[in-house]
Amino acid sequence: MNAFLGPLETDGRVQPRQQTRVAAFLVSAHGALARQFAVALPAKFDAAWQVELNAQFYRESEIVSLLARATAWVPDFALTHMVASWEMAWLPAPVEDIADPARAQAIHLATLAHAIHAGIRPAALLPTEASQNDPFVMALRRIEFESSRLLQAQILFLKGPDLLPFRDAVSAALERRHAEVRRLWNETLESIGIVQRE
Amino acid sequence: MRIAAIIIWPVTAMPFLSHGSYRIRYELDGPPGAPTYVLVNGLTQYSELWGSYRDALTTRHFRVATFDLLGQGISDKPALFIDQDDHTAVLHRLIGELGDGPVFLSGISFGGLIALRYAIEHGARLSGLVPMSCFAELSPQLLLIGNALRTGLILGGTGYLQDLLLPMNLSDQWLKPLLDKLDSVKRQGWLVNDVYALQNLMESFLDFKPLTPLLSSITVPTMILNGEFDFLTPRALHETLRVEIPDSALVIIPKAYHAFTLEKAALTADLLARFAEDVMAGRWKGNKQVLIAPDDAGGDYSPFPAGYDHLRAIPVRRTATT
Repeated sequence: MNAFLGPLETDGRVQPRQQTRVAAFLVSAHGALARQFAVALPAKFDAAWQVELNAQFYRESEIVSLLARATAWVPDFALTHMVASWEMAWLPAPVEDIADPARAQAIHLATLAHAIHAGIRPAALLPTEASQNDPFVMALRRIEFESSRLLQAQILFLKGPDLLPFRDAVSAALERRHAEVRRLWNETLESIGIVQRE
Repeated sequence: MRIAAIIIWPVTAMPFLSHGSYRIRYELDGPPGAPTYVLVNGLTQYSELWGSYRDALTTRHFRVATFDLLGQGISDKPALFIDQDDHTAVLHRLIGELGDGPVFLSGISFGGLIALRYAIEHGARLSGLVPMSCFAELSPQLLLIGNALRTGLILGGTGYLQDLLLPMNLSDQWLKPLLDKLDSVKRQGWLVNDVYALQNLMESFLDFKPLTPLLSSITVPTMILNGEFDFLTPRALHETLRVEIPDSALVIIPKAYHAFTLEKAALTADLLARFAEDVMAGRWKGNKQVLIAPDDAGGDYSPFPAGYDHLRAIPVRRTATT
């Protein structure tokens, strides 16, 4: 077991098997966010925050598109059941103490996006000797960088005045989401020989 | 998420404290029963950065306790909110693990602030206090610099925050030989610190209340360390501590910047050990003195030249005494 992707190929590229497993997880997670942001987008904007929602939708779509092109995909039959478990995990979960369905849905989406943007650091998997010319390496760096920017919308919303009366419920829901996303991510990494430091 | 820094860290060597549902990673070195130094990290730091202090202080027969703050390094990282009271509570729990022997508490920058808060709330448990590169209130400059650093973190990530802090906090002499390998210098800090967790730590200052009115309640011997060229937390911020804490002395570290604990570890560890030895031997006299530390470990302190204003960068005679 190693802490980073590897061993690398002779030209410094990440093994296609590792690329495939990591990219599949990220496509599933960011794809789910893209779909859920798309559903949340109204046809015509009547509030300023919907501009940010629009940006989130397109950034998530870009991440999926980027991974589809930058990954050296190989057949991976284990993905069949892994993808099913991931997709189930992205479904809305009830938020305790939040009765308003619209608010609960917004909290679900924000907590899921926070957990994925904050908790998944794909660039931190790269060993220092990873090739700068590998598009997959560049894609992981870009996704981590974009995620930390996208995260700001979730932080502003979840820490914002509208949710302050529900601070404990929101924090608990967010911690649960983080734990679940971290578990799935760690399982995925372990399946390709990577152990995260706990 | 906690990121692996080296291949498979031996879990058995890494004890954890509990704070609610969160785990705090700490480390104890040195002989049980010996006087203990507890060292508190700055904002972007992690426990391993005190490695040379562990070696130096255990050699001088101290026990050393280090830990990752909540939100840092290998400790758990609350997803949304970190309250400064949480850090004080964690520190209280850690010190509670140390038995009844003398405890000396030191922290740098953000960690110095946590140490001050602990000393205000639980000063009776301490034998001595060493705030380093520290502050009790946010001056307009520090507030605006802090805001700018937070914006840098948000827009550019941890790496950009490190890019800003390195030249602010370390000298040309330290940086010059590392200029072509700064990425490797930054890598460990980048790996173990997550943007959201650093942001939570920085945002714990949004409702910060100045500690200045409470400083006079700190009755333990206190040595305040301030780098000569620290412009992140300049002399005036340390002067507040010196004026308000009764048994204190301000020690200026020559040619040092904000992060002198990294750059001048041997000197700083020696100053920490000498302070504790002096306190335990009854030799310490704070007297709100202003002293200049030696250039190297083992050298002599010099009093700041009488009659001159230690708050100025040019030799100006003092007009009022405090």
